[in-house]
Amino acid sequence: MSRVSRARSMILSAGATLCLLALSSCGTNPSTGGGSGTLTIQGDAGNPTLVQNFNPFAGSSLHGTFLIYEPLEIPSPIDGSYTPFLATGYKFTDPKTLVYTIRQGVKWSDGKDFSPADVVFTFNLLKKFPALDTKAVWQQITSISASGNDVTMNFSAANVPFAISIAQTPIVPQHLWSSMSDPVKDANTHPVGTGPFMLDSFAPTQYSLKKNTNYWQADKVAPSEVLFPAQASNQSTNQLDVVSGKFDWSYNFLPDVKTTYVNRDPAHNQYWFPPGGTIGLYLNLTKAPFSDVNFRKGLSMSLNRTTIATKAVNGYMDQASMSGLILPNLKKWLDPSLPNQGVVAQDTAGAQTAFAQAGYSMQAGKLVGRNGKQATMTIVMPGNFSDWVAAAKEVVQEVASVGIAATLDLPQYPQYSQGIQAGTFDAAIGGYGGNGDPYTDFSLALSSTFATPVNTPTANNFERFKDPSVDQALTTLASATDTSARTQATYTLEQAMYNKVPIVLMYYGGSWGLFSTKHFTGWPSASNPYTLPTNYNNSLLTVVTHITKA
Amino acid sequence: MRYIGRKVALFVITLWGAITLNFLLPRLMPGSPVDAALGRLASSGVPITNAERRAVEVQLGVPHGSLISQYGDYLNSILHFNFGSSYSFPSETVAHTIGKAAPWTLALIGVTTIVAFIIGTLLGVYAGWRRGKTADTTVTLGATFFAAFPPFWLGLLLLFVFAFKFSLFPIKGGYSPGETPSLSPSFLADAVYHSVIPAVTLAITTLSGWVFGMRNNMINTLGEDYVTFAEANGLRTRTVALLYAARNALLPNVTAFGLSLGAVVGGSVLVEGVFSYPGLGNLLYIAVSNHDFPLMQALFLVITVSMLVAIFIVDLIYVRLDPRVRQA
Repeated sequence: MSRVSRARSMILSAGATLCLLALSSCGTNPSTGGGSGTLTIQGDAGNPTLVQNFNPFAGSSLHGTFLIYEPLEIPSPIDGSYTPFLATGYKFTDPKTLVYTIRQGVKWSDGKDFSPADVVFTFNLLKKFPALDTKAVWQQITSISASGNDVTMNFSAANVPFAISIAQTPIVPQHLWSSMSDPVKDANTHPVGTGPFMLDSFAPTQYSLKKNTNYWQADKVAPSEVLFPAQASNQSTNQLDVVSGKFDWSYNFLPDVKTTYVNRDPAHNQYWFPPGGTIGLYLNLTKAPFSDVNFRKGLSMSLNRTTIATKAVNGYMDQASMSGLILPNLKKWLDPSLPNQGVVAQDTAGAQTAFAQAGYSMQAGKLVGRNGKQATMTIVMPGNFSDWVAAAKEVVQEVASVGIAATLDLPQYPQYSQGIQAGTFDAAIGGYGGNGDPYTDFSLALSSTFATPVNTPTANNFERFKDPSVDQALTTLASATDTSARTQATYTLEQAMYNKVPIVLMYYGGSWGLFSTKHFTGWPSASNPYTLPTNYNNSLLTVVTHITKA
Repeated sequence: MRYIGRKVALFVITLWGAITLNFLLPRLMPGSPVDAALGRLASSGVPITNAERRAVEVQLGVPHGSLISQYGDYLNSILHFNFGSSYSFPSETVAHTIGKAAPWTLALIGVTTIVAFIIGTLLGVYAGWRRGKTADTTVTLGATFFAAFPPFWLGLLLLFVFAFKFSLFPIKGGYSPGETPSLSPSFLADAVYHSVIPAVTLAITTLSGWVFGMRNNMINTLGEDYVTFAEANGLRTRTVALLYAARNALLPNVTAFGLSLGAVVGGSVLVEGVFSYPGLGNLLYIAVSNHDFPLMQALFLVITVSMLVAIFIVDLIYVRLDPRVRQA
């Protein structure tokens, strides 16, 4: 799941649309960005009531926290390859023992030395305060110990891909955090980290970070200051802010981005909208007719995914492959035996055949089952996610042509979330994947451990898919350390996604990166895709250590 | 005296009803604060796990007691002016959060309401006095035109033209990003500069109500015998219009003005939202979208109480303004 879906809040009102359509005729504003060396990033939402919170384990911490605390390594959200930070590398001595080699010569921003003991302390802190352990690290590891420059973690069961979650845990200083009375609620307003930046000033409308000159790779950090002006809660105001050239790096869905953004400063303004997740139609597998794989196949074949993608995201994104992989990001894992890279084309005749196998036939324009009733479904999604709603409206039309009566249900997010977690829906639009690693994507979506009974909430596998062969492949993948075993297990999972259609994957959700090369260059792009252009997670750290002064 | 006693009793009963409704309504909304917080996380790209959900529950300290015991705690804390801490701003008390936002709303909406009332009433008097003439037609037509504008739409339009296209005013906020609110002249100047478009938006869209009300009352009053008598006595036009006709025509508008002053405290959710203005309306929007019960309750309480107080004061003033109600 990814913020892909920021697009949803794209256009909130007719007024905003009007403004954006008229943009092409607008003059260029002088930039109000900071002086040389200042990197201005479109900041957190919450203007003018931003709350100072730099606790790296809190859900409400500010984006700048990612530039203050460093993790051991950062896996690329595109292909899962690691960039080392506080560790210089890792290895599995066996599928249940993970060893990180910790970087030497690193200092905390208050001048004290960083050591492997801080790493051990941080993980033990998560054990002591489970509320901080949001990635459930301690459900996987049983012990952690340091020896020399190595930190060793023992797993309760083989789970090689879990290194992704461990590697991203932000490391905090023992000498300050050991005396914190309640690290769960502490807002950590005076953060001390190992990262490239330190807190400079904070106001409820904007905060700024200044460069940590003691940073261990300070020569790779070009900006001397990073400004985070807070975003408004009103999306159209934010879009005006973005196109008026206030930011070096922003993240916003803009309709007709070439006209609305690039053309306002063609020499500097650029965009990169790579796929960051997949938007799919979740079917409730505990209910008929969705429990029948043939019905699901028919449904999948009756959709024209290209049209759906065009309606939903202005054609910025492609139709999704039913392999369960985001392409081209994860193409090295793609099973070559899948026809057409796993993309399912619209095939009405094929859909009729599949429906017939499920016991459904066309009668007077209606798809009627053995019980003599027309197939119906209610598709639920949050009403303000406008790209999902646009996609669902197209789905309703397309399934109507094969005789299924579909209707939309558009509640607020909390109600939607409750429904899909409890499994009380027919069909729902939802996000899938985007973790940069096939195992995590497949495991969250398909593992039977998440398939709780209806009315028992689950945070994943909302469709409640259960298949022993899939569980087996996940276990194999979890314990595989060599490439060929991992590849084989991944192929099995792709085949399951393609043939058993647990989720009807429709189109890729975009990641809406907008950059200006006026002050800095070297942004992630299609030709240099080192990370996703998301400015609200640890891609911040990756990008800030990549860009150079213009 | 019996009149005042009855009003006080009514005030107390209404207040209790409002406080109780205020407790129930937010809890009838579907979804919980935890879901709302997880929704924010999910939309910022964090994969949601069951561990994450437990963590958020602990961090928010969501109440688990029965509805009755929550109601008891609620009444008790209201008596002590203790509204707890909000879910959206965990490091502050609700009272502090509201205290920070209130001056912005009182200044922006309070001043524009008073200005709109004065200008609108004067225009109404003028239009009423010159009824049927070109001046009347112009004012009435103009007021009708602007009354049809939804305030948030006019706000977006003004924002687009004057803040974006011509860059004359800032796009959002109550003051320049990074500044700390204070009473220094430079900060006040900055705040006034930021409030121009929101104030104009509010003034234009609320003006017309006063114009219509006053014009129609004027026309009624001008038909009264005492106005004809004053004119026949050869009093100056302005004296008749302002001191005789307008003074009496003003009565219903005073009631409406009292009510709208009471409503000032609620702010204007849509207009403050459009401009990201740091006031109570914006705060209410944030509270509702985050299922922030403590903040919502405190805000609704402030809004209802100030409304009730405004009505109460208008009732009392009326006793002086209109001798007829004393008998009632």
